Amino acid sequence: MSSRERSRVVDAALRSLPSLAVFVVGLVVWEVWVNVRDVPAYLYPSASEVGSELLAEGPSLAADDLRWTMIEAVLGFLLGSFAAVLTAIVFVHAKFIERVLFPWAIVLQTVPIVAVAPLLTIWFGFTLQPKVIIAALICFFPVLVNTTKGFRAISSQALELMRILSATRWSIFWRLRVPSSLPYVFAGLKVASTLSVIGAIVAEFTGADRGIGFVIIQASYRLDTRLMFAGIALSSAAGVVFFNVIGALERLALRWPDARLEQ
Amino acid sequence: MTGTGIAIDGVGMQFGGGQGVTALDGIDLHISAGEFVALVGPSGCGKSTLLRIVSGLLEPTSGRVDVSGKTPDEARRDVDFGFVFQQPTLFPWLRVLGNVLLPDRVLGRRNPNRGPHREQVARELLRDVGLERFEDHYPGQVSGGMRQRVALARALSYDPKILLMDEPFGALDEFTRDRLNLQLLDVCNKTGSTVLFVTHSIQEAIFLADRVVMLSSRPGRVTRIAEVPFRKPRGLEVRYEPEFAALTGELRGLLEVEDEVELARRQL
Repeated sequence: MSSRERSRVVDAALRSLPSLAVFVVGLVVWEVWVNVRDVPAYLYPSASEVGSELLAEGPSLAADDLRWTMIEAVLGFLLGSFAAVLTAIVFVHAKFIERVLFPWAIVLQTVPIVAVAPLLTIWFGFTLQPKVIIAALICFFPVLVNTTKGFRAISSQALELMRILSATRWSIFWRLRVPSSLPYVFAGLKVASTLSVIGAIVAEFTGADRGIGFVIIQASYRLDTRLMFAGIALSSAAGVVFFNVIGALERLALRWPDARLEQ
Repeated sequence: MTGTGIAIDGVGMQFGGGQGVTALDGIDLHISAGEFVALVGPSGCGKSTLLRIVSGLLEPTSGRVDVSGKTPDEARRDVDFGFVFQQPTLFPWLRVLGNVLLPDRVLGRRNPNRGPHREQVARELLRDVGLERFEDHYPGQVSGGMRQRVALARALSYDPKILLMDEPFGALDEFTRDRLNLQLLDVCNKTGSTVLFVTHSIQEAIFLADRVVMLSSRPGRVTRIAEVPFRKPRGLEVRYEPEFAALTGELRGLLEVEDEVELARRQL
């Protein structure tokens, strides 16, 4: 690691210090509040109790249930994003198809995922499919909207330049539309990455025999709030990791100055 | 390299149908091979529209354009044109050298400059416009003037027969503009391309061109075609010649008359 890279790592760590401080303060407030109010532990476990639960159960939960949830989420993410990018390509080249189909994409977005999940469980049973499909459905819209916008985010002069060079549609697509859409595509993928985990867990609620959603639902039947908190903490941590993996890919793909869109 | 002439006959352009705006009306202009012609006129006189008609990007509503026996569209398909836009229009994800090589990548086998040395050709062009040290920079890392020079190098990279320039230096400061004007004359002197150059600066037009064409606004009509009496190559000092001042004054006078007519028309 060069000294410049190291100083960048140090900078990043220093920048995230305030956020970490907020996290620590939150834990302390939680711990103190539970102890001072003397609330029943089965309703509100303290931060330290959840911590010890995580230490005890965390590794096996992560190796088994969280792994399944993330497989479902990532597969759904890939499927939904892929479908969304393909749809965006069609939309950009056939305005008519966009006019016909885009309203239905919005309808699809407004359908409550929680209501669709039980239906898919009836059709597919306690298998991988309903989870992947729900995760894919939830990823589809943000990627579609961003990618379509990205394909269109080119100046009329850039298009005229390509026409002066008598470029083919194919060439305009690969050399102009795809690179200029990438910042938008990644903005959509980052949103989709966190949503995909939520989608997988919601699908697990309606019928599963493993996964973090399954663990949380089972724990709720037993009023095991400690395990529920542990599941919540693990799944959101996994979501954060997924988000950051996509962020790292984005930094690798978008190397030119001011490429990344402000979030 | 041989240039290519352009014959513009009775070209008119109307936007928005019958009741629409007449951008150009009965434009006649013959440009010989290797000639440098500047189009000057107030904003909104259809200068840019005329460039787009000549290059086949727009279809005129009347009249015809002939580019050495071809229609503009055919000439565009044969990649006879280089176009420098008002904005540099570089691809921000390509480095400076990559932007100059873009036409080669798009044209493939159709590039007349294609060969094992095409990167060398691009490097030489960048040197001609004074950017040899910036090949590996991204457009976002260089100044506006430099970006416009990259755009010029890109337009020249495939030896277009005709160079069309749409107020390319309009957004730049005076010093940068002077330097780029000199570089442009130098490059054109080497390549012998036919140039059609749009500007709203009378001084820039006289300094660069063999002939200056004045256009009126709404509708755009040719009001005067002036021969520029200076030989090429020219230095910046020609601007202090009495003939330069006289021609500038004469053309500016035409613009002012134009303004008064416009003003009177609005008051009616």
